[in-house]
Amino acid sequence: MLRKRVPQPPVDPARRDLERHDFWPGFIAAIIGAVLLFCGARHLTGVDTVEGSTASEAQLTKAFSAGGLQYADQTPPPAPPRLDDSAAAAEALDRWARQTANAAPPTWKVRVDTGAKKACPT
Amino acid sequence: MECTVPECKQRQPTELGRKLSRLRPLVQTGFLGVWLAPLGQWLHGIPGCVFHCYSCPLSAFGCPVGIAANYAALLPVTLEVPYLLLGVLLLVGALGGSIVCGWACPFGFLQDLLGRVTTRKIALPGWAGHFRFVVLVGLVLLLPAVLGFKGIPFDDQVVSICRLCPAGALEAGIPYSLQSLLAGNGWLMSGFKTGLLIAFFGAALFIHRPWCRIFCPLGGFLSLCNRFSLFHLRFNPKECVECNLCRTRCQLGVKVDQKVNVSGCIRCLECATCGALEPCFAFPKNDATRPRKEPSAS
Repeated sequence: MLRKRVPQPPVDPARRDLERHDFWPGFIAAIIGAVLLFCGARHLTGVDTVEGSTASEAQLTKAFSAGGLQYADQTPPPAPPRLDDSAAAAEALDRWARQTANAAPPTWKVRVDTGAKKACPT
Repeated sequence: MECTVPECKQRQPTELGRKLSRLRPLVQTGFLGVWLAPLGQWLHGIPGCVFHCYSCPLSAFGCPVGIAANYAALLPVTLEVPYLLLGVLLLVGALGGSIVCGWACPFGFLQDLLGRVTTRKIALPGWAGHFRFVVLVGLVLLLPAVLGFKGIPFDDQVVSICRLCPAGALEAGIPYSLQSLLAGNGWLMSGFKTGLLIAFFGAALFIHRPWCRIFCPLGGFLSLCNRFSLFHLRFNPKECVECNLCRTRCQLGVKVDQKVNVSGCIRCLECATCGALEPCFAFPKNDATRPRKEPSAS
């Protein structure tokens, strides 16, 4: 397939840079990349999972695409007890209110739900 | 300006150039089988090296741009280094530079197909390519981090690369919106994002690879590796007859007659058709390069 030829500007091929690449810069960069890849595959992040263990980097990365990140300040409080099926509902509600008020804030800021499967987080 | 070089009109593409031109769409099609979840294996924990939305129902790997933005948004909460992401991109970049853009990227392939529609193509100025680095630094790294410091998680950020990305609109927005529409819940994707997708398709008809050339942060990063990658293009002055076939073949507007291993190049190797630009690997011996064996020009 030939297109309309672009006119040649005054370039002297004999004086043009040959653009030969040295081996070592590319090789060293590739080695650094391979080492980072290896480290990443074994790396445990500082983020916990919902199950209580530490999330690996792959789990954290996967959580990005599955909506698996949970932020502490976005975690809803436990639901109140149902009031329609028990005579002791008022007492249960009072107990729930006390527990909610006295509940300590979570020790984590963000954690990974490895089972999350949200189709499109954004 | 008329070209005054006598060989200019007669110079035909070399056999290698013809083969590469024919081979490239086939390779791009073959790579779709890699990126589009073959055998139902979803490996979203591993970053891919091409621009492909991880919310796509068929995506096999994680989108490197989305992963980088998520890491940036996590910065206020926890300082994590994306070793996997950096490793994949550095390894791919060091081996081939931006060759994955030209030969493997599904979104680039789509733009190549759209670019084949016969329309009058608009030439872009060379500086337009620098905007990719603005997108990379501003939209992918800085903005998610700034909004993250304000306490807004990445998924809730109203302005983010994922909400502006045409690949996300096409590969995730369209399937889920169609699913929602069929379920009677209406069109899921926002009007703004739908408009962006339409604008992208329109631009791709009149500009060759508009996303890759102006916006793609991943291509911007990989193209930086073009300056030292093991695979590269070498200029052979003995073969150059100043016909400028190389520059004529380049659809990205790179001045390959002056310098070819530059950030604007996607390594499609169309310029190698003239024979003066030779695809080759750097080898350790004498720090030089060995050109590929090339059949004689037809």
